[in-house]
Amino acid sequence: MSVMRKFRAPNRLSMLVRANGGMMAKDALAAADAALEPLRAESLAVLDAALAEIEARFGRSAATTRASGAYQDLYTLALRIIDVSGFLPGSCVDQAAVSFCALVDNCAEAGAWRWDAVDVHVNALRLLRTTDLNPDQRRAVIEGLNKVSQRRIDDA
Amino acid sequence: MREPLHASTRINLEKVEVLLVDDSVPSLNLLSQVLLGFGIGKLTRADSAKMAQALLRERTFDLVISATNMAGVDGYELVKWLRRGALEANRYLAVILVSGHTPPSQVFKGRDAGANFTIAKPITPKIVLERILWAAKEDRQFIECETYLGPDRRFKNDGPPAGAKGRRREDPPQALRPPGAQSLESADSEKVKP
Repeated sequence: MSVMRKFRAPNRLSMLVRANGGMMAKDALAAADAALEPLRAESLAVLDAALAEIEARFGRSAATTRASGAYQDLYTLALRIIDVSGFLPGSCVDQAAVSFCALVDNCAEAGAWRWDAVDVHVNALRLLRTTDLNPDQRRAVIEGLNKVSQRRIDDA
Repeated sequence: MREPLHASTRINLEKVEVLLVDDSVPSLNLLSQVLLGFGIGKLTRADSAKMAQALLRERTFDLVISATNMAGVDGYELVKWLRRGALEANRYLAVILVSGHTPPSQVFKGRDAGANFTIAKPITPKIVLERILWAAKEDRQFIECETYLGPDRRFKNDGPPAGAKGRRREDPPQALRPPGAQSLESADSEKVKP
């Protein structure tokens, strides 16, 4: 049996945050929101560029070449969408991208692409980003995507 | 039970030295802006885990916030390394991981690497501030054994891992959970996405 040691480690962060001065949480949050605002346009441009790259490299238009794409590349592009999707609250774009990551994970694990499922995710992301849908419609899209992404190759 | 963030909670981050690690520049920019908004005065950015390792060998920090998915050395490996290979003064740092895709397996991976908490992206200022406060109020002891160094992962008192014989004085003779049941409770993510 290996030896285990349990001990109290110093927590410098704890001592520093309790120092006099500082600000109230509500003011810190308001300041953070204000600090984020200048990044809005840039972030949405990053999101749109990632979506365009996904379509160009892994969409239907790339049907003849996409099979040579790496799982990690598509996963990274979907993560890039998640990174900046906080600027689209309520759009469900982030949840669609999370479902996309789960799908790519499953494909990588199985060692085979599921292009029908990839196409569904690309279309859904484009729809959620550009179309004026109500919350129920957005939720329905996400529920559908989650069913698609969680479906394994051997279930098909 | 950890407390939710209250609007009137006073916090002073002016002297906190934070190391922010992410190889995605847009993500690094967003987190930087949030932290600067909180009044953090000493923020250091690293766009790779390798760069973070170099900094953690040279300078002392009070908090590390790192992405999980990075090319080369990822966030999990960075935390594992930090707990054993960084400057002595940095080994017990509070570490918050930030991840765009957080299935339970990834959250457990972060926990088992020695991270304090995992935050799911897209980040919101409220969740980031809340986790920083949780890390500041962290009262878990550290555990060091052959395979792990980090905050106690068994803080919910559910006994030793399934199938393992308890090594602690306070361990019950048998696990508290029913035989065969898996322990999934101690995933420190604010939300675990499918």
